[in-house]
Amino acid sequence: MELRDIINSGKPVRISPDATVGDALVSMMENKTDYLLVDRKTPNDAYGILTRWDIVSGPVAHGEDLTAVSVLDCARKPLVVLNNLSLDERRVARKMDAENASKIAVFDKEDFVGFVSDIDILKAISKAAKGGAR
Amino acid sequence: MTHEELSLRSIVKTFEFPTIGQDATALEAVDKMLEKGCYSLLVPRRDRSDAYGIVTKKDIVTKVVAEGLDPAKVTIKEIMSKPLVILTNLSLELRWVAKAMADSGVSTIVVFDKGDFYGFVTEKCILEGMYNAMRRARLEQGVEFVSC
Repeated sequence: MELRDIINSGKPVRISPDATVGDALVSMMENKTDYLLVDRKTPNDAYGILTRWDIVSGPVAHGEDLTAVSVLDCARKPLVVLNNLSLDERRVARKMDAENASKIAVFDKEDFVGFVSDIDILKAISKAAKGGAR
Repeated sequence: MTHEELSLRSIVKTFEFPTIGQDATALEAVDKMLEKGCYSLLVPRRDRSDAYGIVTKKDIVTKVVAEGLDPAKVTIKEIMSKPLVILTNLSLELRWVAKAMADSGVSTIVVFDKGDFYGFVTEKCILEGMYNAMRRARLEQGVEFVSC
């Protein structure tokens, strides 16, 4: 299966880089998502991503006050990016393993297409097995 | 900060943890995960001297798909993590639960109470716990809770 078939093209929820982790937590829970795209400040800046794991292993584990920590301090920046839409799912999984990331941003040339997550890969292999068997 | 009073007991999920046999295939595990919406499965022990194991979505992505193996041929035995990361102190403060997760690099911790299986916590449980505590604190202050 190719990357273009497994990608999740839903719009990610965004958060401003100046927001606090407390705001991010509220936004995550209310939008029922497990990651947020951190906006860039200037066109020369990079996008970032904030996942549940970043919040738990950073500020929560260190006992910091979530309303005092800024998103920039625990977000992952820059994003892990792939731009070859016909890449095999196996290479996508390899990339996730190598970068220790669960979500990879996919760009087609300059345009953002969406995120591919580890769950999307699971769905793809489940679908491939059902389609291939019968 | 309000999360000081939050303990492991208040966030642990005690409902049944989906299980999968050691000899099942990775593909069966994937189907079960997607069907239950729960991305870690407990692998029961064979006898009392054996340890419990766990298989997560990450195990499948990194050990099966990334290696180019056929998920219908790989068994759970080959990819599971064993033994589990466990916690036994139910009154442990939330931040130490998070620290235990960060230090061991796992997203699911199983909780045992006096030698019996009690429940499990994931990073999602921790955030939900903190979110609810935050909301409760704001309600008590009489401030209307405004989302951003």
